[in-house]
Amino acid sequence: MSLAQDMRPATQHLLDKINATAGEHGKVSYQGSVPFGARLKIERFRLSNGLHILLVKDPTAPVIAYHTWFRVGSRCEAPGKTGISHLFEHLMFNEIEGLKTGEFDKKMEAIGADNNASTWLDFTQYQEAFPKKHLPLVIDLEARRMHQLVLREPQVLSEKDVVMNERRFRVEDDIEGTAEEQLWKTAFERHPYHWPTLGWMKDIEGLTTDDCREFYQRYYAPNNASLVIVGDLNEQKALRLISETYGKLAPSVLPLEEIEPEEPQMEERHVELNLPTETEKLFLGFKSPAVGDANHVVASLLIEVLCGGPASRLRRRLVRHDQIASDVGGFIGPHRDPSLMEISVAARRGVRAETLRAAIDEELTRIQQEAITEAELNRAKARMELGLLGGLESADGKASTIGFYQTLLGRPAAAFERMEELERLTPSDLLRVARSILHPRGCTSVVVRKNTETPPASESLS
Amino acid sequence: MTQDLIVTADPALPLLHLSVVTKSGALLDPPGKEGATRLLFRLMRRSVLGMTPEEVDEAFDGMGATLGVDVQRSVAGFHGGCIARQKTAFFSLVRQLVAQPDFSSDEFSRLKDEALADWHESIDSDSTLVRRAFTRHLFVDHPYGRLAGGDAESLQKITLDDLKSLHQSLFRSSSLIVSLAGDVSEREAVGLKTDLDSALNDALPNMPEISDPQLLPGRRLIFVDKPERTQTQIAIGGMGTHPLDEDHTALYIAHTIFGGTFTSRLSREVRGKRGWSYGASSSLPIDRKRQAFSLWTFPKSEDAAACIRLELELLEKLIEKGVTKSEISAAKRYLSNSHVFSVDTAAKRASLALDAQIYHLPEGYFDEYLQRISACTLEEVNAAIKRRLSAEDLLICVVGTKESILQDLTDSIPRLKTSTVYPFNAPAG
Repeated sequence: MSLAQDMRPATQHLLDKINATAGEHGKVSYQGSVPFGARLKIERFRLSNGLHILLVKDPTAPVIAYHTWFRVGSRCEAPGKTGISHLFEHLMFNEIEGLKTGEFDKKMEAIGADNNASTWLDFTQYQEAFPKKHLPLVIDLEARRMHQLVLREPQVLSEKDVVMNERRFRVEDDIEGTAEEQLWKTAFERHPYHWPTLGWMKDIEGLTTDDCREFYQRYYAPNNASLVIVGDLNEQKALRLISETYGKLAPSVLPLEEIEPEEPQMEERHVELNLPTETEKLFLGFKSPAVGDANHVVASLLIEVLCGGPASRLRRRLVRHDQIASDVGGFIGPHRDPSLMEISVAARRGVRAETLRAAIDEELTRIQQEAITEAELNRAKARMELGLLGGLESADGKASTIGFYQTLLGRPAAAFERMEELERLTPSDLLRVARSILHPRGCTSVVVRKNTETPPASESLS
Repeated sequence: MTQDLIVTADPALPLLHLSVVTKSGALLDPPGKEGATRLLFRLMRRSVLGMTPEEVDEAFDGMGATLGVDVQRSVAGFHGGCIARQKTAFFSLVRQLVAQPDFSSDEFSRLKDEALADWHESIDSDSTLVRRAFTRHLFVDHPYGRLAGGDAESLQKITLDDLKSLHQSLFRSSSLIVSLAGDVSEREAVGLKTDLDSALNDALPNMPEISDPQLLPGRRLIFVDKPERTQTQIAIGGMGTHPLDEDHTALYIAHTIFGGTFTSRLSREVRGKRGWSYGASSSLPIDRKRQAFSLWTFPKSEDAAACIRLELELLEKLIEKGVTKSEISAAKRYLSNSHVFSVDTAAKRASLALDAQIYHLPEGYFDEYLQRISACTLEEVNAAIKRRLSAEDLLICVVGTKESILQDLTDSIPRLKTSTVYPFNAPAG
């Protein structure tokens, strides 16, 4: 019987049965339910050790998506030890007590699971999607690696090499990756968003096995995690198993988060890079609201108007009208603390970054002086609605959306709350937020120019 | 059932996916004018009679819809979707776009400039460079070696008349397949297909006849020289199989064991044991004729020579000794159990049905996939490896910095027959 069919008495009865035999850390309390769109509901629970549990029964396909979200990311790191959150994410796929290195992945593959993980500024998350009958195995493995990971020097050294290669792939040999890293490094001087999630190469090289053990003890605890389980599941069985397995874990004393707030930026900051490329590029970052700020939805709509889709202002101006750019991108950081609204542009051959900047500045001035049209507003809203729906087709997509907002805001259905807010927005809201964000003194810019040592393109193949 | 129409209805979300594809693709590009089919589709995407390109873009955006272009060698199409409440308007615009293209010379000139700019931008990507080099030099003079996106030389030669001629060849009622998935009914789908068909001429589809590609003998190195690389991109490969080959399923199991999963031989040896590359995998794609079997890694420059030697040794061992019973069991379990993720959404189910039509697969090909996997024996897999793979007739493509590593590479690859260097920014590179 689904929990959602019944109301509190049956839920309480189930929990009473589980709690009657649960250990000190495995007692389950019900936290209520939250609608997730028109059809689904998130049932929220919590273990006595602090673990959040969010269950969504969705029988659309015979699969389950199982996500574990930890409130630890590169924001929790310190200078000299950057990149440890991400390195640790790699290490979580290694040896567990009773399971040699490689066995975790073999077991996942044997059940046909699609598994992965990611680390960013504010979180680290682990995910599997698998045929529904294997839920007991996955619960067992995930609970075990939360507290029984074995960290040995050879595996740490090997994963450090892999991570350094990942850094070369994403940053050192990647123009956009290099420019993005410099953009954030320059925009943030005190706040931990200053350093990249991948970590500086020197720091990665210097990380030790003891660093990793300490990191694990400190942050990988049930009271620092949320489980999100979406799919064709039996909620009662799931809760019972979670209580039995995760109930063996004691909570950790989480470290105090001592974030240095960023000082207000009083003037534009600028970086020049010379890299092996045929075309110049321009990256702009404007200080922008945190994801929990009321203005974040407005800012999301603003960047959509500016850069989202071929009818957006900057694409139309730079690619189509002036024909000075080959590509325009825009993005707003969805982060716990204030971050950046980014605009990135690739110039056409022979076009200088200054030309791009002049055109962009004109458009940014215009959007601060005149309200956007209703047609533009409605187009941007429609695109954002399409984006949200597209992310919810699979069990994994739903779990990702829920896990993200649960971890950052404590509101697992915030994606839909944001859509409701979006509907209420008017051109006046965008005008207000554009004026507060898009001023030059809050801007950091990175220009990529062609390295003069790069040989010119040959006329023909010899 | 309407011919060349795929419908997988699912009202769970108010969203639908649309594909309108032609049964031929970039293989119809005139010789020396590679990229023409892609330009045609890009032009059609933005140019409708009676509307400006700005109006077309605003119309799609305003209805919460997207429509993109994807052109491959054997198939080309428009792919997108919309919020379900806008489907009538969406279908109407797609219909106009297919049936009433505007071959404006101004728009064509603008588009060509954009395409050239895109090409120059694309050479920033090392992984794009290695893929292009591998495709071009593996298939050499075979039509599969022609790049669907073209290059700086071929793009410049394309004319508007080329696009009009391609449009005549590609857009015939018998050449179009329509696929719809999501919040859509059979009746709505039939309506769209019928409208599209009635707007096009009904000549037979233009399907170029091509033979299976043949591999050049010996081990060949193609080196794409790019300055300041701390890392290399490496592709090694030869010929694979056609999906109807008697060896295809067996070879697919072999590829899964060798490089198809995180615990595969290649991933374990290159990444797991040595930490040499963030990714290490093999690939066995399908097409209407025989495609490639390939290995992909990206070690740091100092490890490139050793990584290539290791990959060659692993390939030699695979061919000489084959795979084991326990490896086959594990691969079969993985393929069988993970198959649910090929069909867990309406869009994925539609995509499989579309592939079956595009690649001329028999009815039920993907439905019977699990049975074919299950039926494959150890002997069949090892026989397929020996028949289909070669460790001697291979192409090795590397993107890196010549002055740092080329000599080391050529010295360390056993039985290397030829070595050629191209600059990364060559217009036909």
